[in-house]
Parts: sequence; C-alpha cells; structure tokens
Amino acid sequence: MEPVTLTLMIGVGLAGVIAFIAGIIEDAESDAGSSSNPNSQVQLAPQIGHIITYYDKAIAGEPPQNGLWAAGACTIALLLSWRFVDLGMGQYYAVFFAAVAGAAVIALVQGCFGIFAHISRITSMAAFKQPLYWHALLTPLPYSMGLCFLTALLLTLLAFVASGILGNSFAPPLIALFMGITLGSIASGSGDIHYGAERLYQHLPFGSGIAISNQGDIDLKGEYGFRNSVDTPYFCMRFGGTITALAFGLLIFLDGWSRLFTFAGRWTSIILEAVIVAILFIFLNRLEKYTRDSYGPYPGQEDA
Amino acid sequence: MDPITAMIGIIVGGIIVGICVHFIPASAVGAMSASTGIATGPSMLSTGCGLAGLYAAGYMIGESTPLVVLSGAMGSALMIICTMLLANTICAFGTGVAPVAGSYDKDPITGWRQKPFMSPGTDGHSMPTTTALSGIIGALLGGAGGSLVFVSVYEMISPILEHTTAITIAGMVGAGVFLINCVLPAYVLVGKSEGMTDKKMKLLHKTFVSCLIVSVITAVFVYASVVVI
Repeated sequence: MEPVTLTLMIGVGLAGVIAFIAGIIEDAESDAGSSSNPNSQVQLAPQIGHIITYYDKAIAGEPPQNGLWAAGACTIALLLSWRFVDLGMGQYYAVFFAAVAGAAVIALVQGCFGIFAHISRITSMAAFKQPLYWHALLTPLPYSMGLCFLTALLLTLLAFVASGILGNSFAPPLIALFMGITLGSIASGSGDIHYGAERLYQHLPFGSGIAISNQGDIDLKGEYGFRNSVDTPYFCMRFGGTITALAFGLLIFLDGWSRLFTFAGRWTSIILEAVIVAILFIFLNRLEKYTRDSYGPYPGQEDA
Repeated sequence: MDPITAMIGIIVGGIIVGICVHFIPASAVGAMSASTGIATGPSMLSTGCGLAGLYAAGYMIGESTPLVVLSGAMGSALMIICTMLLANTICAFGTGVAPVAGSYDKDPITGWRQKPFMSPGTDGHSMPTTTALSGIIGALLGGAGGSLVFVSVYEMISPILEHTTAITIAGMVGAGVFLINCVLPAYVLVGKSEGMTDKKMKLLHKTFVSCLIVSVITAVFVYASVVVI
C-alpha cells in the first residue's frame, strides 16, 4: 500500500472518530443550556404557572452559536500554533497545545455568554412570577463550559485533520466554522428531539408526539429533587447524543472514505457518495416500514 | 472563467440557494415531534447542509466547474440524508412514533396512508419517504448553488490573489451567501416547511425575486471590488 493512501486512511478514521465524539459532546452542550428548539417549551412553562430551574442560554440559534465557538477556538489555535512552531516546538505538539489554549479561551467566553443570556432570559419572565434562582445558573454553568471546551477542542482538531491530512483547500478556521454550523444543525435537527419530545415530557405516555395543547407543561421534578440542567444531558447523552454523533461521524467518515478510491478518476467520490445517499435512503424507507408495522395506527384512528 | 460569466454564476447560485430552502422539510416544533420535518428552522438547516457541501467542494477546487458543483451537491445530500435517517431513528426509538406527513394523506411514492399514524393533537412527525426525497432534492440544489457561487468567486479573484487567499475569500463569500439567501425564504415559510408537498411551494416566486435582488447586489459588489477597483 502506498504511504499516501495509508496516511489518508488514518486521517479519515481519525476525522470520523473526532467527529463522532464531538457529536455527543455538542448535543450534551446544547441540552445543558436548553439552547435549541425545545427551549421554546422552557420559556412557555412560566407562562402556564410552572416555576422552572432549567439553565436557559438560548439567545442565539444552536448552529451559529456553535460555529462561533469552533471558528473562534480554531483561529486562536492557528495563530498560537505558528508562534509555538517559531519557538521550536514540534508541529503536532504545537497544534495540540494551541488547540487546548484556543478552546479554553472560548470556554470562558461561552461562560460569560451563558451568564448574561440566562439572566436576561429569566428576568424577561418576571411578569409570570419566575424567580432568578442562582443555583439554576451556577450548578450547570461549569458543566456547560466544560462541554463547550471539549466541542471547540474537537472541532479545532477536526479542522486541522481535514486541512493537514485530508487535504481540504480551506484554511482551518473556515473549516471549523463550516463544521461548527453543520454539527449545530445536525444536533439541533436530530439529537434535540430526544430532549424536546421525551426528556421534557416524561410524565406523558411514551409513543406520541407532544400535542400543541400540552406544550409548556414540562417536567419540574428530577430523579432527585427539582430537575436542573445537569440532569438533562445525563438522560439525553445515552440516546440522543449518540445518534447525533452517528449522524455527524457518518457524514465526515463517509465523505472522507469516498475520496480514498480512484477507479473513475476525479468522479469517483461523487459516484460513491451518490450510491451511499441511495443506500441510506433505502434504509430510511425500511425504517419507516418497520415503525409502521411495529407500532400500528393510533386507537380510534384506524379509518381516519 | 471571465468575470461576467463568474458574475452570472454568483447570481444563479444565489437564487438556487434560496430556492433549496423550500424543498428541505424542517420545522421548529418538530423537536417536540409535533410537526413533520427535521427538527430545526429551515434556514439554519439549509445553511448547515450547504456548508457541508462547501466543505466537500473544498476538496475539488482547481478541477473543472461541474466537478466542484457536483461534489458540493453530493456533500450536501450526504449531510441531509444522514440527518434525516438518524432523526427518524430518534423518533422511532426515542419517542416511539412512525414518520407521518401532515401535507398529504397518501404517500405519493409508497402509497402508505398517513393520518392513522399521526399522534393526536400533532401535525405529523419526522420524515416519510416522499418528504425525505424532497429533502435530498433541496440539499442537492443548495450544495450545487453554494458551490457554484464559491467556484465563480474563486475563478474571478484567483488571477489577482494568491491561491490560498483566493480560496479563503471565495469560501467566505460562499458561506455568506448561505447566511443571507437561506434566511430570506424564512419570511414566506414562517418557521415550517414540509418540502415540495407543502402549499408554501406556491410562494416560490417571492423567494425567487428576493434572492435575485440580493444575489445581483452581491455579484455586482464582488465584480466591482475585483474588476473595477
């Protein structure tokens, strides 16, 4: 096997693994901060008389927010890595330590963002007698910052792998921005269903979407005492987070994998990706058939 | 590619990016399994899938234009099918519902009835086959449009700038077009779209006109900054 192909294969595997872990962590970060679409339910709750103790930092959409963290961390990391190389450090060490420093700075920025976002969100609910509980802010804040640190670090490393090993033409900060926004929209579109439709409404029967009339009637009690935002990723990471990770990991891995072959010249990756899309579409159709057969129609709606 | 052709490329790409949003099924209340579509806003989802396409196109820059455009389209399609398949998986095993569309009674491709499987009080959940196909069409359009903008800007500025700088600026313009043109249809979609089976497809001309105006401004600005100044 040629050394170039071996390096590419290692790069593809590494990118897939980093993307997979980043997917889990990013979904947990958004769940901890209620920073995606289910935050509408958290905001509705005080309006129907529920006093909440959730951490709510949803003042920006999850994709641009995540893109900002990733691009910011990667920009700092790129600049620092040049400086570290100038000081005589090895290239790979320089990138890794610079990525850690960049992610640490961004975690602090996210902490400031989270504090002000939560305070402004909660005080806007004062008309509905929602108090500003400090424990609801201070308990999940370090946790959320830690998850943000890991997400920014992993996306920065992913950007460097895509640029340095896989040969993407874009500069690493731009790749980090693309990956951040893409991961944010994947996590928002898949993982958050587990938070919004299941975790927030565990008192409703399993096997149904949340009817409009029930929206806002979220769970207030946790496994132990009042539910806070540290409990949420504990539940969602086991299924919602893993599935998000699978979606993002598959995207990065399959996109890189399709570029390892050359049987049709430069068209190879396009042909392979078209085949993969067709196969996944068939999977989607079979999953639909399976769920329809397994669950059946709702009682009383058989002839609707 | 001469500057005028590149300018036309930016305009056409920008319009396609706007139109793609109509095809991508997305709904914010989908996060509560209360509506058909991927569980996030159509604009941000389209941006995310378009940027995945730009990332894929980044591997092909320097090749012929059709290669870059098709690579971007397939990268986008891969992102959207991964998201839809795994979102359906969460709906199936995380909340226990089958994919159901609110905009049609019988699926045009599979012929499966939708209403009996719709949970009471909701407007559908996740993506059945036809809705998913609409999402793939939208992603192909979005990825192709964004990559066309990217390659057009690159071809326009590459004679006067260094290779790496030209790619970075072209990528930023491509990403910027997504952030502008994907948001414009939000005014007609108002946070929810079921793709090509949705009645809001009749409002496509409004998106077309708004994206045309914005893309012309973008293209003239890029042309002026590169060729005139």
